[in-house]
Amino acid sequence: MLDNKKVGSVMIVGGGVTGMQSALDLADSGYYVYLVEKSGAIGGAMAQLDKTFPTNDCSM
Amino acid sequence: MTLSEVTNIAGTAGNFQVTVKEAPRYVDVDKCIACGACTEKCPKKVDSEYNAGTGKRKAIYVKYAQAVPLKYQIDPEACIWLKKPGACGFCQTVCDAGAINFNDTEKIHEINVGAVVLAPGFESFDPKEAKVWGYGIQPNVITAMQLERYLSASGPTEGHLVRPSDHKAVNKVAFLQCVGSRDENLCGNGYCSSVCCMYAIKEAVIAKDHVPGLSATIFYMDMRTHGKEFERYLERAKSDSGVRFVRCRVNGVETEGNTDDLRIRYINEQGRQVEEFFDMVVLSVGLQTPKSVLALAETAGIQMTADKFAATSDFAPVQTSREGIFTCGAFAGPKDIPQSVVEGSAAAAAVADLLAPARHQLSTAATFPTEKDISNEEPRVGVFICHCGSNIASVVDVAKVEEYAATLPYVTYVERNLFSCSQDTQDMIVKRIQEQNLNRIVIAACTPRTHEPLFRETLKAAGLNEYLVEMANIRNHNSWVHSKDPVHATAKAKDLVRMAAAKVTYCTALKPISVPITQKGLVIGGGVAGMTAALNLAEQGFEVHLVERTDTLGGNALFLKHTWSGEHIPTQVKKLIEKVMANDKVIVHKESEISKVEGFVGNFETTIKGGDGSTQVIAHGIGIIATGAGIMSPHEYCYQTSKRVVTSVEFDRLHELKEKHVRSAKNFVFIQCVGSREGDAMYCSKVCCTHSVQSAIEVKEEDPSRNVYILYRDMRTYGQREKLYRQARQMGIIFINYELHGKPQVIDKGEMLEVMVHDHILHRPLKIEADIVILATAIQPRSDAKDLANLFKVPVDGDGFFLEAHAKLRPVDFSTDGMFVAGLAHYPKPIEESVAQALAAAARAATLLSKNEVSLDAIKASVDAEFCDGCALCLDVCPFHAITLVTKEVDGKVGRLINVNKAKCKGCGLCQGTCPKRGVYVGGFTMQQISSQIEAALAV
Amino acid sequence: MSFEPKIIAFCCNWCSYAAADLAGISRMQYPHNVRIIRVMCSGMVHPELVMDALGQGADGVMVLG
Repeated sequence: MLDNKKVGSVMIVGGGVTGMQSALDLADSGYYVYLVEKSGAIGGAMAQLDKTFPTNDCSM
Repeated sequence: MTLSEVTNIAGTAGNFQVTVKEAPRYVDVDKCIACGACTEKCPKKVDSEYNAGTGKRKAIYVKYAQAVPLKYQIDPEACIWLKKPGACGFCQTVCDAGAINFNDTEKIHEINVGAVVLAPGFESFDPKEAKVWGYGIQPNVITAMQLERYLSASGPTEGHLVRPSDHKAVNKVAFLQCVGSRDENLCGNGYCSSVCCMYAIKEAVIAKDHVPGLSATIFYMDMRTHGKEFERYLERAKSDSGVRFVRCRVNGVETEGNTDDLRIRYINEQGRQVEEFFDMVVLSVGLQTPKSVLALAETAGIQMTADKFAATSDFAPVQTSREGIFTCGAFAGPKDIPQSVVEGSAAAAAVADLLAPARHQLSTAATFPTEKDISNEEPRVGVFICHCGSNIASVVDVAKVEEYAATLPYVTYVERNLFSCSQDTQDMIVKRIQEQNLNRIVIAACTPRTHEPLFRETLKAAGLNEYLVEMANIRNHNSWVHSKDPVHATAKAKDLVRMAAAKVTYCTALKPISVPITQKGLVIGGGVAGMTAALNLAEQGFEVHLVERTDTLGGNALFLKHTWSGEHIPTQVKKLIEKVMANDKVIVHKESEISKVEGFVGNFETTIKGGDGSTQVIAHGIGIIATGAGIMSPHEYCYQTSKRVVTSVEFDRLHELKEKHVRSAKNFVFIQCVGSREGDAMYCSKVCCTHSVQSAIEVKEEDPSRNVYILYRDMRTYGQREKLYRQARQMGIIFINYELHGKPQVIDKGEMLEVMVHDHILHRPLKIEADIVILATAIQPRSDAKDLANLFKVPVDGDGFFLEAHAKLRPVDFSTDGMFVAGLAHYPKPIEESVAQALAAAARAATLLSKNEVSLDAIKASVDAEFCDGCALCLDVCPFHAITLVTKEVDGKVGRLINVNKAKCKGCGLCQGTCPKRGVYVGGFTMQQISSQIEAALAV
Repeated sequence: MSFEPKIIAFCCNWCSYAAADLAGISRMQYPHNVRIIRVMCSGMVHPELVMDALGQGADGVMVLG
């Protein structure tokens, strides 16, 4: 009964690595996702980093 | 939705009404092609947020070169026109695409959703206010994020490390840790930010790579390198890179006379005050929740902790206090990238649990016309040359390229477009393919890495196989990098088009491969991680087999009492077990082990062997390894000989049972890092510092007259756990630091123990009489982990823990598709992190299980039976174990050849590069195709 | 006329090809003599292809991955 009222969409607030991962996983498993980001582009703090440890991979 | 903020959340779990305010961008994203002409002309410069204030940006800008969406935006605070209409407007004049819209307005959206996930992130602590570090006054005092930008090739100095004040090369740099963390006086942030130790080490190592001979010193209180592979990174930074570590909190940075040099005073290891000069000081600033996010928390109506992070339970680490609203990332406590990514997936699992009945309700699948068979047709190549506004056309003479392309073999149609990627051009290309009967397409434009998927869709829409397109990268690899040499750029564009046209001629229709998925899961390990993952998948509606080696569910959690935040573990574990047992979608196999595994993603067949020797084959689409870890049994500190020396877990038990030695003891000594961070176990067990501090607080609380000592190397009460460390110190628990070269000694004196340790603050040896010594023993990988790894063809690392596909971005996936890892099997971690990882593994698994079939990219290796003679050289080089040897029969003769499992193959072509007989090829990148490109490249 | 070498570069789609793209985004200028051939992994480049390129007149071959 109650389940019928559930909406199959999700809003993710924040477009950093965390929000993006959440959004991708939900979209990939059959939900409609709204990704809301405050700034002009997604990416968050990780996009500012030069390299990441422990492998010193580029973080882009 | 960018430039958007949530202003209200009404409704309840399953059915929320969210109000989103979208700020105007003043640039039409459908029209903007990110050519950059507007930015070039914009006269207004302001500090760039992306470069953390180290560089400038214009008033019309793109956040960073690789931004998604790669669309420009106007900063209304800086734009001259928006402040005074008519005053400037250069961008509007130069925009060929007509994307500038100064009349853009704020929009309010009302959106109906079933759940909300909050992942708003953090901000760096601003050290300006505190004044002591000279930040904001001394240009050579910078934050770690600013250094990150200076070191970056895309940063303001293109990776050259120079002093901001005078652009002098930096020879000596100091990092100050815990700026804005673990400090209630200067910043009010008592917690540890968890990530700064690691990023400081990384930046020091990379800075030393950039500047040969650079001296880098890190001033710290405790080195908190508790994550996977972090300890080794620390050791390498010391031994290989020569980064200097000084254990001392520095209280201020001063200047020296009129120079820009910076003076730091500190206490060295000999206890003397010394002063030292540096060219640059980097502040390892902590993470904190921004004010705007606190406002969001209030809008969402959720509870926060005293440290201003979202409040959660350790057994539901992504659930906020309001049902249907979830949290992940640094919003619920400072954390590093892998843990944030884990929580991102975990939140997805929690949402899927809530909204399972509404799955697929709103998502849609696109439909395409039937594909035309072109295998018997002569190639008819269509070439589309993109101007990319002026990006290509201002350098390359596109008309000449067009003329030239028409002369190439098989090319029957050529056309130029202002923007090949725009929607109207897409429609036009579809039309041309149909009316000109084209069967191969060359797009001479930008990079296939971003745009090939788009053009593949275009071909599909035209009824052509999507793999019959080839891109010539005449922008990124040509007009942008030879912008001052139009003659050669035009010649090169012709070459690139010729190469692409040559290759596309040999393109054949590749069939996308799809494999059906058995929508069932297999979870190995019945501890907290395994049960959490299994239960979540079951709640999402999937049948799950849970295999447990012993006769009890619960795993290591059965030995534990409280989580760091004080939640009672036995109660929670009991609840979890009950839920698992009550859920009819979870099939529990106790006293069972895996004996054989066959198959691949979507189609595994695993044999489990029961305690009675019976076997059973289970078909499943995904597998989650959550087999836990063991506790190391120490061989030092008189553990083997004295009853008064016990491990942490043993101590908890004795303490709970009020055993007489423990009850009557007056002097307690905890020794940390027993079996961790040394020798072969060069990793931190992560949980022991917090565990010992908690136990110490308990015994001290029971009887404040007790003397409680903790002998440690670095206290690693990371994140909000720092609260416990602070409390312990306030209670009078004595913390004594020791170094690996001066480990404590325990001498058994019969009635009591004598512990000898060198005190680094008093600078003399210390003798402590102890009634009981508690050893914080290491978490060890299970010795049979490797066997299981071999069965599932997944890797373990050098320590024996299961190795994930990517340390940062795929923390629960294995490189083998369809396999996931969670809990201690991956690395030591506290319960809340195990739960998050288990949920994440379930979410990742659900992305496969929610589909009937998984479609794979068609760029795969195929065997050419005519040439393959089964020499098997390719078997060893295949990193995905996708190739097997089979027998064939030709004209009655039995021979051998290889077989490629397309579901496992990733199309890397190592086999093709190895094969001496051309017996194996990768579709879309055959030897013939590459040869044709070489030939075309060198033809003129 | 001065000598203009012809260079063939095999670039891995996931790293060096992406790096070449980024060089473009960053507007770095470099000599025009290089012709990049995209491969899915540098390991895909068969030794014969390198010989092929040299045999057909390439003055240099780079395999980047």
